[in-house]
Amino acid sequence: MTHTLDARLHLLDRQMLDANGAPVGTVDDLELEGEVGEPIGAGAPPPRVTGLMSGHVLATRILGGAPPASRFQVIPWRLVASLGIVVKLKPTDMVFESQWVEHWLRDHVIKHVPGWRSGGRRDAPQ
Amino acid sequence: MKKIFAVALGILTAIGGFLDIGDLVTNAVVGSRFGLGLAWAVVVGVVGICVFAQMSGRVAAVSGRATFEIIRERLGPRTAGANLTASFLINLMTVTAEIGGIALALQLATDVGPKMWIPVAAFAVWIVIWRVGFSKMENVTGLLGLSLIVFAVSVFLLHPQWSDLAGQALSPEIPGSESAANYWYYAIALFGAAMTPYEVFFFSSGAVEEGWTVKDLGTSRLNVLVGFPLGGLLSVAIAACAAIVLLPNQIDVTSLSQVVMPVAVAGGKLALAIVIVGVVAATFGAALETTLSSGYTLAQFLGWTWGKFRRPDEAARFHVVMFVVLVACAAVLYTGVDPILVTEYSVVFSAIALPLTYLPILIVANDREYMGDNVNGTWANALGSVYLVIILAASLAAIPLMIVTGAGQ
Repeated sequence: MTHTLDARLHLLDRQMLDANGAPVGTVDDLELEGEVGEPIGAGAPPPRVTGLMSGHVLATRILGGAPPASRFQVIPWRLVASLGIVVKLKPTDMVFESQWVEHWLRDHVIKHVPGWRSGGRRDAPQ
Repeated sequence: MKKIFAVALGILTAIGGFLDIGDLVTNAVVGSRFGLGLAWAVVVGVVGICVFAQMSGRVAAVSGRATFEIIRERLGPRTAGANLTASFLINLMTVTAEIGGIALALQLATDVGPKMWIPVAAFAVWIVIWRVGFSKMENVTGLLGLSLIVFAVSVFLLHPQWSDLAGQALSPEIPGSESAANYWYYAIALFGAAMTPYEVFFFSSGAVEEGWTVKDLGTSRLNVLVGFPLGGLLSVAIAACAAIVLLPNQIDVTSLSQVVMPVAVAGGKLALAIVIVGVVAATFGAALETTLSSGYTLAQFLGWTWGKFRRPDEAARFHVVMFVVLVACAAVLYTGVDPILVTEYSVVFSAIALPLTYLPILIVANDREYMGDNVNGTWANALGSVYLVIILAASLAAIPLMIVTGAGQ
């Protein structure tokens, strides 16, 4: 069964949640099979989505232009658990590069302030 | 029994939490200049915030998505980014105004100048956000904010000519001393004070914080539909107090002391003490809400972890942003800017930014992918659409009126 999905409406700018329900970034672009610029052979199958892309690319998404590929991280399609009003990911050891600021601030700022363990008794909402 | 208690608590905190420095100042200014001739604008604003707060709470409870996540999904990074910039800056103004309000209220109580109180107030707001749980901070400030009922009591103690007040409210006319442009400028200010966007950001994020589900919708609807109108009644009581005491004596509202003066006239020192407790609680509660809202909006737009239900180390960027916001707002106050003036501008700028916030909520509240069977009913859509027109009109008229009137001078 095929299901029509408007990529702009249903994928772009949706939040990705890891297996624990914590946000790990937003979908900024899609990765398709094949190379840009190559001629498409007769009878070639249509390209498939191979991954979701996320990264620190807000500036180019607002102002236009193509960010360098290094600004993106590709989340392979096999890690996607479900598509809905959020994109849920399967459990993975993958380190999300979009989180480095979060981790830096956590380790260099937050953990130096007394009481950083307080609160947060509830599990993350789904 | 437990359920009745929870509902009562919710309603009481909604009443106490409804008022902030914007409502306090704008209603007193309007009362001192127009009597109750603009009470209708409070009514229009309160119905509007009921419709949209309830709608955003329902969207958050059903879909788990808070307002700014939806704004980005629906409007894309460009338009949503413009909305974020505007909302965030207005929110900064509101945080500044609330912290200034706390400092001014403490000055009334102690005679120690506001510059001494600014850092105390900002630090207190930060420490509460850092350490205290979400529900506890909401309930305590909301319940203490109920002290503002003393404004309503004062109206009775002042023995007004009820027929005069009713006449002003029911057949409003523009006083001879004021221009039509001023009248409409303040109508928009009152509307903006009642419908400030941060209340919707806060309400929908709060629904996620408290883990609402479809089951909680009835309670939340009751809290909003009973609590907010009663809070609106207090707004009108503030205007009535000013209309009774300040208007005949041609006293301008330039600081908090004029806002609370009618209460002191009506009930003496005890009433004054109660109203100061109420003002501190209301501004402190609103300072918490606006500071959290600055973190909520930014984090939700950018896809960060956020929320008080997470420990600070689980939402590091969110907590750092709120700290930076508080420091920045305290610094702004140290430039010597008048918090009352910041307040007056913040409510009008709120009115300007309203459409960008309320349109996406209305759209998503009708989207079955998010809402399942809990999509808007006919009434919610009819009211929501009517309000979108009002909001758009107020937003478009605000800047021209601000220029024509010299910001209501």
